[in-house]
Amino acid sequence: ADVISTVEFNQTGEFLFLATGDKGGRVVIFQREPQGEYNVYSTFQSHEPEFDYLKSLEIEERINKIRWLPLHNPAHFLLATNDKTIKLWKVSERDKRAEGYNLRDEEGRLKDLSTVTTLQVPVLRPMDLLVEASPRRVFANAHAYHINSISVNSDCETYLSADDLRINLWNLNITDRSFNIVDLKPENMEDLSEVITVAEFHPHHCHLLAFSSSTGTTRLCDMRASALCDQHAKLFEEAADPSHRSFFSEIVSSVSDVKFSHSGRYLLTRDYLTVKVWDLNMENKPVETYQVHDYLRTKLCSLYESDCIFDKFECAWNGTDSVIMTGAYNNYFRMFDRASLRDVTLEASREVCKRRAVLQPRRVCVGKKQKETDVSVDSLDFRKKILHTAWHPKENIIAIAASNNLYIFQDRLTPNGHHNTPEIQSCRQHHNNLMNCYEHI
Amino acid sequence: MEYKVEAHRIMSISLGKIYNSRVQRGGIKLHKNLLVSLVLRSARQVYLSDYYSGACLNAQSEREGNEWDITDSEREKFPPSATECDRVESTEEPQPNEQPEKEREYRENDDEVKSDQVDCTSTLQEQNQNSSLDSVAKVSSETPPESITEPKESPSDSAVAERDSTPEANGESHQPPKPYVCSNRKRSAEESESGDSPQKRTKVASSNAKEDEEAEEMDTSNVSNLITIFGSSFSGLLSKESAKPEAEAEDSGQICCDQMLKNLNPWSTAIVAF
Repeated sequence: ADVISTVEFNQTGEFLFLATGDKGGRVVIFQREPQGEYNVYSTFQSHEPEFDYLKSLEIEERINKIRWLPLHNPAHFLLATNDKTIKLWKVSERDKRAEGYNLRDEEGRLKDLSTVTTLQVPVLRPMDLLVEASPRRVFANAHAYHINSISVNSDCETYLSADDLRINLWNLNITDRSFNIVDLKPENMEDLSEVITVAEFHPHHCHLLAFSSSTGTTRLCDMRASALCDQHAKLFEEAADPSHRSFFSEIVSSVSDVKFSHSGRYLLTRDYLTVKVWDLNMENKPVETYQVHDYLRTKLCSLYESDCIFDKFECAWNGTDSVIMTGAYNNYFRMFDRASLRDVTLEASREVCKRRAVLQPRRVCVGKKQKETDVSVDSLDFRKKILHTAWHPKENIIAIAASNNLYIFQDRLTPNGHHNTPEIQSCRQHHNNLMNCYEHI
Repeated sequence: MEYKVEAHRIMSISLGKIYNSRVQRGGIKLHKNLLVSLVLRSARQVYLSDYYSGACLNAQSEREGNEWDITDSEREKFPPSATECDRVESTEEPQPNEQPEKEREYRENDDEVKSDQVDCTSTLQEQNQNSSLDSVAKVSSETPPESITEPKESPSDSAVAERDSTPEANGESHQPPKPYVCSNRKRSAEESESGDSPQKRTKVASSNAKEDEEAEEMDTSNVSNLITIFGSSFSGLLSKESAKPEAEAEDSGQICCDQMLKNLNPWSTAIVAF
């Protein structure tokens, strides 16, 4: 199935796009209509399955990450990566076509020259809008391990790509060279104790980058300090709670996502059970910790067996850094208001979401139900997981990816303004079976 | 003692995951394998320290004292979070202490049906009455993706599912209802005999390794079993056995198979591919 593997708004929020994974490798771009709704704008195949003959390994075409470039051209640029190769795509519109060629007819066939009696100048005529995607750069062969992140620098010239053990710095215009800036590979692989899980550039300071690891730590690196940033400038780590120690402590502490706040002052990290806000000025503990689904803490054993414990949930800030959002199981996603400390659980599923429907909050209960609408922990469907969520950079519009469906929710009351209590209401739903409609692109 | 059973089960599951990861599309995922190996290591430590605390007699009082400490510290670590597993073990507490020799005997017996039926006695009632088996329902079944949705089953059904998945290891202490036992035991026995799923095969193999250990025999033939099952990837391990020093103080290397267990570093398999 074409399960969505990443969702990303671009910087102005005009374009939302998502990429499908799993036998997909396709990128689907949505555009916001003047009325405010999102429709499919372009679809193209970004990556194809490949085979590494040296290692006898298949390279999946699944798109791991997509990042928009903050360029201000008429065309749009995005970086898309699978496990091994990063590609820069240019998405441009064409609404005019040259007609009246002398040597070719309308279908492009060569004319019989004897029939050409006069010369004409080709003219541009309007045509139906055509959105073209073309690969402009291919950044390949730089990663021995699976790429998990890409992040465009605020200088708009460079970007980083991170795999399990290394982070490379690229120039967007140079494809045959990259600089290695972080290398965690030990001399002896048997001494391996941690891997890089996510890496991201600071939104304003082009010399700062953060990367998280499987041990639950997040490091801030300053590229001015040295060429190789193995020595961190800051290490964000909270002492583990000894009362929660179990076989699976290491797994649940592994950080699955890192996001800088828009202000650049805070870091948001997601591990299996919590989401934490860190102040860049304080390393020894987060300033805020939110429990996403603490009721799973007693179920880690079965979640380990089913591999659910390895799910990598992402997290997101809203435009004003006042609300954070992350996904959970049973098609639930959670939002936490940092100021009021209120949180809400909402569901993104076809049964619940009709056009203009108002989402009702959900509650998961351990033990007896207190309300009819409560959902028991035992009845949660762990196959329905919301790993990827995105928040519009300026407005209260969110995109939620639930397996192969994309849900876009909008705040009803003040679509263009800041809202203290995130009441997400009208919704629009897309199915990701778009291949039938847009094959020709 | 009760943690040993759970630790053993977790080890089996972890080994199965590592094995399965080799055939996954896209190659071995380093992150996941690292985490699985950490779980495997933790489970192994608990398992071995528990073994020592259970098997060592007063002759080695000082070391035993250390192991008790370790066991206690392990217990401190695990009680709050392993509650679901605890409940299973706690209900069996009357039994295992009574039948340590029997346990070994049955474990050495590859025929799960036989061992289960022999043990299917007085504790049957106890298990059925245990209403806290709701949590047990979460703990495993043979088909992991469905296991999470299985909690809707009745407690007795879930108890059966739980028993079913670890028949070899827990043969002596899990007593599902008899009629249900027959059908499930048959299925699991068939599976282990036919060896269809590598996961099942893994569990049988690893339990063989444990049996030898518990019987205090140095039997490399079972180790070889494990190796053949995992293919050539483990072949390097035996050669590493002598070369690789282990720094775990609490495992003073009394038993040779224990040494093998310590050196059964799943990392070697994952790393070989890189």
